[in-house]
Amino acid sequence: MAEALRDMQARFLAGVIANDAAAEALIVDDNRVGAAKRLAIYRNNYRSSLTGVLADHYERLHAYVGDEQFDNLAEAYVDAHPSHTRNLRYYGEKFAAFLAQHYPDDGELAELAALDWALRHAFDAADTAPLDAAAVGELGDAWIERRLTLHPSATLLPVRHNVAALWSSLDADEEPPEVEALPDAATLLIWRDGTQSRFRSLMADEAAALALLADGASFTDLSAALIEAEGEAAAMEALAAWLGRWLADELLVLAD
Amino acid sequence: MDSKTAPSPGFGLGLRPEHYGEFLGQPQPVDWLEIISENYMVPGGKPLAMLDRVRADYPVVMHGVSLSIGSAEPLDHDYLRDLKVLAGRVEPLWISDHLCWTGINAHNTHDLLPLPYDAPALDCVVDNIGRVQDFLGRRILIENPSSYVTFRSSDRSEWDFLAEMAERADCLLLLDVNNIYVSARNHGFDPQDYLAGLPADRIQQIHLAGHSDMGDYVIDTHDADVCDAVWDLYGDAVRMFGPVATMIERDDHIPPLPDVIAELDRARALAAQVLEPVHG
Repeated sequence: MAEALRDMQARFLAGVIANDAAAEALIVDDNRVGAAKRLAIYRNNYRSSLTGVLADHYERLHAYVGDEQFDNLAEAYVDAHPSHTRNLRYYGEKFAAFLAQHYPDDGELAELAALDWALRHAFDAADTAPLDAAAVGELGDAWIERRLTLHPSATLLPVRHNVAALWSSLDADEEPPEVEALPDAATLLIWRDGTQSRFRSLMADEAAALALLADGASFTDLSAALIEAEGEAAAMEALAAWLGRWLADELLVLAD
Repeated sequence: MDSKTAPSPGFGLGLRPEHYGEFLGQPQPVDWLEIISENYMVPGGKPLAMLDRVRADYPVVMHGVSLSIGSAEPLDHDYLRDLKVLAGRVEPLWISDHLCWTGINAHNTHDLLPLPYDAPALDCVVDNIGRVQDFLGRRILIENPSSYVTFRSSDRSEWDFLAEMAERADCLLLLDVNNIYVSARNHGFDPQDYLAGLPADRIQQIHLAGHSDMGDYVIDTHDADVCDAVWDLYGDAVRMFGPVATMIERDDHIPPLPDVIAELDRARALAAQVLEPVHG
């Protein structure tokens, strides 16, 4: 008996997700509305939930391309990605990769999407206790040997276009600048400060330093790498400035 | 007369992020709040921080949309585990979800899909509610859905199905008065028959909401004020079931908090008026 229900549900689901007309035979037809139109209500609900959550989570990409083009992109993603997640929150996870694959000549689309998603991730990432000046004080001198990593809210996002400027203009409801390819690849840092998601552009040396920490380097490891690259005086000056900011921004956590 | 349900905590609202500031800024004339469980089934950050602060000031009930007790496949244990973790944090008055299924075979529609009202579906739902209640260690509430189709295999009414389900699974009911109205319009049944067929001693909560009238049919959109016909039906429900925890459910075109509170005050006034002769 349970198998029959299961088969019926698989058929109904195919009607909702894949437009399979065989689902109509499961339901009572009538002259007033009709089986096809009744089933279409569920089909529309399904598609509008998914495109709606994409519009919600990719707000700046939406503002950048406009309603019509965003609808096209979202519908195409829904066609290619039936939902397998229990929580709608995570449905749009592969949207940036989808855009990168299908619009390789418009690389700023995938990058804007990735920035929107990283900000969303920062918004509700885990509340792991960050290292702050007080925590460092408690650990004493031994802290520089401890393996570090970035707070769960943090993402290092490599970009090749001026998406930071695009995003900020769109966020301020201003006309965005022309899209430009950057002369050199750059990195954006996205993280959560208190309950506020934020991002900033990194210079190459700070991006490299944070990448080392993200991989579990200790402050001693990082210092050695930076001295090797830049010499002791420059390294010490940079580290002192960065460390103050990283601690204030609640960006670092102990890796273990 | 009633030992299954908890006493009514009064009149509540669905907590929406648009209203966080007002709930945290000053006391609001709202007795309790309902959260959408999934919105807080995330690792951390602002949603849980806001929830903790609101919870310090208001009793909270948890309302889920993803339990899928009607799917003819095993329950999602990761989801259940996360739900239980959230319940541990919130200590809700109660936990609810819907008489529906949301997907099968690892596909999810994020919609409240309808069930055939027949014996196999009833067995499936009763078994799953039992497992959920065993896992959570408490009775849950099951809400009547809005529906747009009737399965050919259905051999009983939705209210008969709900009544037998509640009895066999020993669960409670969340009565969505708007959903009764919507489904009555879509399927052509009498809402009075529906109310009369329900087990009064298991109704723990009532939802009121707005819908979209498409003429030949009605869609449950939660994006408008409660309509007069639904207010009338709510009056009938209160007359029949007595004081039941009641809230306004608004999910789209969300108005400023004072507007929603004004609608909730209408529910308070209507319930008081209906119950006055009984208690006076």
